[in-house]
Amino acid sequence: MTYFARKFGFFLATLWAVVTLNFLIPRLQPGDPAEIMVKRLAGKDAALDPAQVKAMRAMLGAPDGSLWNQYVSYLGELVHGNFGLSYTYYPYKVTDVIAQAFWWTVVLVVVTQVVSFVVGIVLGAYAAWRRNSRLDSIVTLGSTFLGTLQPFWIGLLLLYVFGYSLGWFPTSGGYEESTPGFNWPFIQEAVSHSFLPALALLIVTPIGWILGMRNTMIMNLGEDYIRLAKAKGLRDRDVALRYAARNALLPSVTGFALALGGVLGGAILVETVFDYPGLGRLMGEAVQNKDYPLLQTLMLLTTAGVLVANLAADLLYGVLDPRARRAQA
Amino acid sequence: MTRTRTKPTLIVTGLTAAALALTGCAGSASQKDSKASADGMIDQLTFPSEADAAVGGLVNYNPNSPKPLTATWLYEPLIVRNSLTCEETPWLATKSTWEGGNKLTFDIRDGVKWSDGQAFTAKDVAFTFNLMKQYPAFDKAGVWNNTFGAPAKSVTAQGNQVVFEFTGNAAPKYDGIIATKILPEHVYSKVGDPTKYVDKTPVSTGPYKVGSYNGRRLVLERRADYWQADKVKVQKIVLEGQYDAAQAALKLRAGQLDAYYGEVPNPKKTFVDADPKNNHFYYAPNGMTVLTGNDQQKPFSDVKFREAISYAMNKQDMSLKATYGVMKPASQTGLKLPSMASLVPAKYSGEDTVLPYDLAKANQLLDAAGYKKGADGKRTNPDGSPLSVNFSVQAGFIDYQAIADVVVKGLNDIGVNSKVTASAPDSVDGQKKTGDFQLMLEYLHGGCELAKNIGAKLSSTQIPTKTDIFPNVQRFSDPAVDAAVTKLASDTDKESQKADLAPLVDTMMTKFPVTALIYAPARILYRTDKAVGWPSEDNAYANPQDDKLLVLTHLTAPK
Repeated sequence: MTYFARKFGFFLATLWAVVTLNFLIPRLQPGDPAEIMVKRLAGKDAALDPAQVKAMRAMLGAPDGSLWNQYVSYLGELVHGNFGLSYTYYPYKVTDVIAQAFWWTVVLVVVTQVVSFVVGIVLGAYAAWRRNSRLDSIVTLGSTFLGTLQPFWIGLLLLYVFGYSLGWFPTSGGYEESTPGFNWPFIQEAVSHSFLPALALLIVTPIGWILGMRNTMIMNLGEDYIRLAKAKGLRDRDVALRYAARNALLPSVTGFALALGGVLGGAILVETVFDYPGLGRLMGEAVQNKDYPLLQTLMLLTTAGVLVANLAADLLYGVLDPRARRAQA
Repeated sequence: MTRTRTKPTLIVTGLTAAALALTGCAGSASQKDSKASADGMIDQLTFPSEADAAVGGLVNYNPNSPKPLTATWLYEPLIVRNSLTCEETPWLATKSTWEGGNKLTFDIRDGVKWSDGQAFTAKDVAFTFNLMKQYPAFDKAGVWNNTFGAPAKSVTAQGNQVVFEFTGNAAPKYDGIIATKILPEHVYSKVGDPTKYVDKTPVSTGPYKVGSYNGRRLVLERRADYWQADKVKVQKIVLEGQYDAAQAALKLRAGQLDAYYGEVPNPKKTFVDADPKNNHFYYAPNGMTVLTGNDQQKPFSDVKFREAISYAMNKQDMSLKATYGVMKPASQTGLKLPSMASLVPAKYSGEDTVLPYDLAKANQLLDAAGYKKGADGKRTNPDGSPLSVNFSVQAGFIDYQAIADVVVKGLNDIGVNSKVTASAPDSVDGQKKTGDFQLMLEYLHGGCELAKNIGAKLSSTQIPTKTDIFPNVQRFSDPAVDAAVTKLASDTDKESQKADLAPLVDTMMTKFPVTALIYAPARILYRTDKAVGWPSEDNAYANPQDDKLLVLTHLTAPK
C-alpha cells in the first residue's frame, strides 16, 4: 500500500512542479502578446499604432498584476478547470481551440506509434533471434543510420519528392474541399493528407523499439532458462516467442505507455512542415503569438499526459512484478 | 436571446435563396463565354486566407477580434484613404468636414442596406463609435483616449450626419476614424460585450456575404443589393490556404491563386518571368527602412557623426541585396517620393534628396569632427576613447540582415569599428523599449496622417517607454521640433500642413535623427488572366495591400 501511496504522492509533487514551470517558462520569453497581435495585422516591422496596442491590451486583459498575483490566480482558475480564453482565437476558449486540433494529432500520432511499436518489436525480436544473419545486419545497420535522422528532415525530403516533384500527395493542410465529419470525401482527403506526415514518423519512430527489443532479447537469449527450453527440445518458434520475446517485452511496454502519454504534445516539427492542423502545430503557433493561455494548457496537457502514463506504468508494474513492490517498500 | 436571433436568420435565408438564384443566372451566362462576358463579370477570384490560423473551424467574423475569417469583404469603413497618394474615396460616408481640430462631421451615404435588408443609417455609425466608449478594448482608433490627440466628448447622429466633438485638437485621429468598420446597431446592441461576441452570422454592408466555410476554405458571394453593386464584377471570392513565399509563387504561377500580398523576394524572377503577359507585381513605396542610432548615447548623440555615417550608406547595394533592386533608395526627407513630392518644402524641391554614397565625404566629415583614425585604421571618439558600434538586427528578417551587412561594411570602410548582433525580433523590440542599443534598423511609416507618422518619429513625446514602443525609437529630442509637430497635429488644412511640415523635413535633412535607407513596400503579386484593373506603378489608385475593397471596385474581366 505504501508503494502506491508513495507513487501517487510523487505524481502530485511532479504535477505541481510542472504546473509552475508551465506558468513561468512562457513568461520568461521576451515579447508582448498585444504588440504581437497588432503587428501580425500591420506587418512584421511596421510601426505599432499605440491606439491599437492599447485596445488590444484592454481586450486580452493580460498580463496584469505582479507575477505572483498572476500565478495565484492561474492556480485558482486551473483548480476550477478554467483554462481561459485564447489570445490568438479570442474570444474562443482554449479548450474549444484544442478540441479542433485534438483528433488530428491523436489519429496521426497514435496510429504511427502503435504501428511503430508493433513493427519495431517484431523486427527487433527477429533480428535478435537470427543474430548475425543478413537480415539482422540490415535492420541493425539501417536503424543506426536512420536513427541519426530527424523526422522533420525526412518530412522535408518526402514533401519535396512526393509532394512537389511527383505531385502524388498534397503538400499542406489536413483536407481540401470536403466538410470535416464522418463522410467519405472527408475521410479520403484526410487520409491522403496524413500519408506523408505519417510516413515521416514511421521511418524514424520504430528504430528505438527495434534496437531496444533486440538488445533485451539478446540478453534474455543468454539466460539459463532459454538453454533449458532448448535442451528440452522445444520448437525454436516457441522458445523465441513464448520465452525470450515475452520476457524481453516488459521494458518496452513501459516505454510504450510513456510514448502514448507524450502523444498529446503532437509532433511539433513534423506537423509544422506539413502544415498539419494538429496540436503540435497549434503549439508552435501559440509560442509565436505569446498566446499564454493556449500555450500553458497545451504544455500542461502534454506533461500531464506523460505523468499519468508514468503513474499508470508504475502502478501496473507494482501489480505485475512483486519484486518492484518489495524492493521499494 | 433566441427569439431576437431567429428573425434575422430567416430574412438572411430568404435573401440567400434570392441571391443564389441571381448568381445562378449570372453563372450560366458567363459560362458561355468566360473570357470576355459583355458585362465584364468575373466568375471567381482566389486569394490567400486572411486568418492565418493553425486551426480551422473556429468561425468568427467580428471585425474587431484578433483573427476574423475576413476583415476585408464584409464590414466597411467610412472613407478609404489611399496611403500612397493620400487621395480619399468616399465609402459609407460621402464627405467629411473638420471645423478646427475638434469637430468632425461625416455625411452618411443614403440607400445603403445591411445584408439582412435593414437600412443603414447615421445611427449605426454613431452606435459603433459609442460602443468604443463603453468598451475601450474596441477602441482601435483611439477615439476616446488621448493617443494622438484629445479624446472625444461625444459622437452623435444628427439626421444623416454624424458629428464628433473632441475635448481638444484631435486631427491626427482621422485615419483611425475613417478606417473603422461600421457595425449594425440592431445586431451588436444586443450581444453584450462586443469583444466577447462570436459573430457567426455577419450582418454587414459590404459587397459580399458568406457562402460557405469548411474550416479552411471561405467562399464569399457577391451581394446583388450592394450599394455600389454596379462596380463589383467578381461573383465569388474564395479565401483559402496560408502560403509562404515559395508556395505562393507556385500557386500563383499555376493560376490557383489570383493575388498574393506577402513578401516574395525577387518577384520578377520567381513569378513574372514565368508568364510576363499575365503575371505582374507592384511593390509600392509605403514607408521606408531607416537606420536608427541611439541619439542619447555616444557616438550617435553627435549630429556630425550621424551626418558622416549617412554618407557611408551604399543604398543602391542595399536595394540590390535586400530587394533585388525592386525597392529604390529612400529620400532623407522622410517622405516617400515621388507620391508625396508635393509636400517637399520649396527649399529642397529642386535637389536630389536621396543622399549620395560618398565615402570620401564621410571620411572628411569624421576627420573634421575629431574622430581621429588610429594606426590600425580604426577611428576613436573625439575624447580619445575607442569607438565601436554594435548593430542589433532581427534574426530571420532576411532583408534586414542583408541591409545590415551593407551598413556595417560602409561603417568599417570609414574606420568606424562595427559588428552585427542578430537576436530574436522580440528581443530587438525589448531594446526599443529600454533604449539599451546602439544601432538598429526600423520602419518609418509613410502614412498620410503626417503628425502621426513622420511627426511622431521626431517628437520627444513619442519616445518609447518600458512598456510601449512609440515611434521615436532613436530618442531624438528638440523643443523646436516638438512645437512644429504640435502645430502640424492641429492643422486640418492641406496647405498649412505643408508649411508646418517644413521644419520637420529640415530636421531630417540637417540633423539626421535617423538615416533613410530604402523604401519599404506595400505588396501585391497578381494575375491578369481573369481580372484586370489592378493597381500598378502607372496607376497607383490604391494601396494594393491595404485598400482591397477599393481595388475590387476597379476589377473587370479582360477584354
